[in-house]
Amino acid sequence: MLKPSINDLFKSSIRSILKNKGRTVLTSLGIIIGVASVILLTSIGNGLQIYISQQFENLGANTVFLAPGKIFSDKGGFNNSSSGRFISTYFSYTDVSNLKRAVKNVTISPVSIATVKVKSNKTTKTDVSIVGSGYQYAASANYLPSPGNGRYFTKEEEDKKADVVVLGYGIANDLFPSTSALGKKIIVQTKNMKIIGVLDKKGGSFGGPDVDQYIFTPIGNVFDFTGNQHINEMLIKTQTKEQVPQVKDEVTKVMLKKFDKDAFTVFDSSQLLSSINSIIGMLTVGLSGIAAISLIVGGIGIMNIMLVTVSERTKEIGLRKAIGAYPRAILIQFLIEAIILSIIGGTVGIAIGWLGSIGINSFFPAKVTLSSITIAFSVSAFVGVIFGVVPARKASKLSPIEALRYE
Amino acid sequence: MTMIKSSSTNKTVLELVDVVKTYISGNTQFNALNGVSLKIKEKEFVSITGPSGSGKSTLMHIIGLLDNPTSGQVLLEGKDISQLKENQLAQIRNVTLGFVFQQFNLLARTSALENVLLPLLYSDVPKSKREAIGLEMLKKVGLSDKIKNTPAQLSGGQQQRVAIARALVNNPKIILADEPTGNLDSKSGKEIIELFHYLNQEEGRTIVLVTHDIELAHQANRIIIIKDGKISTQNA
Repeated sequence: MLKPSINDLFKSSIRSILKNKGRTVLTSLGIIIGVASVILLTSIGNGLQIYISQQFENLGANTVFLAPGKIFSDKGGFNNSSSGRFISTYFSYTDVSNLKRAVKNVTISPVSIATVKVKSNKTTKTDVSIVGSGYQYAASANYLPSPGNGRYFTKEEEDKKADVVVLGYGIANDLFPSTSALGKKIIVQTKNMKIIGVLDKKGGSFGGPDVDQYIFTPIGNVFDFTGNQHINEMLIKTQTKEQVPQVKDEVTKVMLKKFDKDAFTVFDSSQLLSSINSIIGMLTVGLSGIAAISLIVGGIGIMNIMLVTVSERTKEIGLRKAIGAYPRAILIQFLIEAIILSIIGGTVGIAIGWLGSIGINSFFPAKVTLSSITIAFSVSAFVGVIFGVVPARKASKLSPIEALRYE
Repeated sequence: MTMIKSSSTNKTVLELVDVVKTYISGNTQFNALNGVSLKIKEKEFVSITGPSGSGKSTLMHIIGLLDNPTSGQVLLEGKDISQLKENQLAQIRNVTLGFVFQQFNLLARTSALENVLLPLLYSDVPKSKREAIGLEMLKKVGLSDKIKNTPAQLSGGQQQRVAIARALVNNPKIILADEPTGNLDSKSGKEIIELFHYLNQEEGRTIVLVTHDIELAHQANRIIIIKDGKISTQNA
């Protein structure tokens, strides 16, 4: 016995909302801000995850990393116990040859990093990271210059420690702001070196080093700069993705012969990716949770204005009851009004959040997901129900006589 | 004792049996109605009158099923309504009774037609037929040219006629009017009373008019005078 029909109730609610346009806008503002910020924050979190996944895809799924120290905690996140923070381990050429002997069908690229001073005919830069590697490293790590921008160094150049460098996009521009860096000479520490390639713009990873500011050179040159033969990490490229787990096991076995289990980490890009994603996910949930508090505040705003509306319309409620409205009809009418208010707020908030994330996306990765819209929309409707119930119940319980007498 | 006019029949539509209504405020009890028994016949035009504080408003609320008696019985068409649930009472108010108030109680910023159609929202009348019924009622009260006007655009007399059209829209047996001319000038008030006479005599509706104005009360076929919560006189 649903009289009036939902359709009729809907119409009368819309009408009474439209009678107070200014109030409707102000009341919905709380929900608008809440929903917009939830949408925005989840879109940023989601955009970050997509961006980072893409970055890792560049590294390739068939890459195994060997790095010093304990990187991951046993629970799956990053390790932040004090023992893992100070990395004192380094690898040597002996380790490289041990690995090459034990693990078959892989390309092992040792990497050594030093900090140097670099001089061009125009400028001088200090604290530049120079990455020394084997010739295969560029292919494994996706650091090959694109056609027209030169090349990476060859095996011959690696073997004879040729004085050649490949520049990251950023540092090439810094050293040679007006001309092409390709083919020019720079002085690294005291060594004269020739630029044989310039990388494309890669962009920095979040919080991590900026590849565009790196210089790449045969590993022997870096040993000369540092005065020792320490290898900081190794990049092990397998032939297929399926090989990765087995290679990880083999590498670990070899390394355990010499090192403590907490002194090194063998991992692949998916492991790193899932750790980073779990952190971003947690951050997104946390931030969205904070934003969701404003949804509750918005809901209280709606409850407040609905209580005012019930008071204002006490006489109308009394009249409706006198002419045959049963309590539930009154309850539903006011509930629908509250829900409409919060859905208006939710819809406008989604629109603003969406536009905002499009705006942000031009300088920071942000992507709105269907699930965040669905959640925001249902949460705002839910807020309408929760905070609409109290005023609606109050309205439905008014005694018609009292209500008609109300001035 | 009760005089029946030619227009009324012998059938009782509404009967009150020893109705008591007690209000409790703090430690003090107050009997607004102190054992009221009365019968209202079909097609009768009755007025209930008495000084302020006599209990006539309380009586009106109980007759209108807006309030429950503390004790005693209210029989509507022979049926005891004290056992009915809130929803059933609402339905009777919707279909059997029509209310006319001193304050008109029209919805502001809402057209005359929509005001008239309001009770149909809560009725079983199919949507397709509603507007035609509303227009017919407005025509009956002489406001066919004002259907789109809002209450603010109507005079007091016109507003009360919209309210009467609203009371009629569900074709009720009984019309309850509470000081319907209290907010009107004498000319408009007279027109409203004429309208009640028309509804009573031509359409055979039972009219219960509550007023403190003894002169107005004499417009009815029968006067019930109430004093200190008791009926003191019932006459023609």
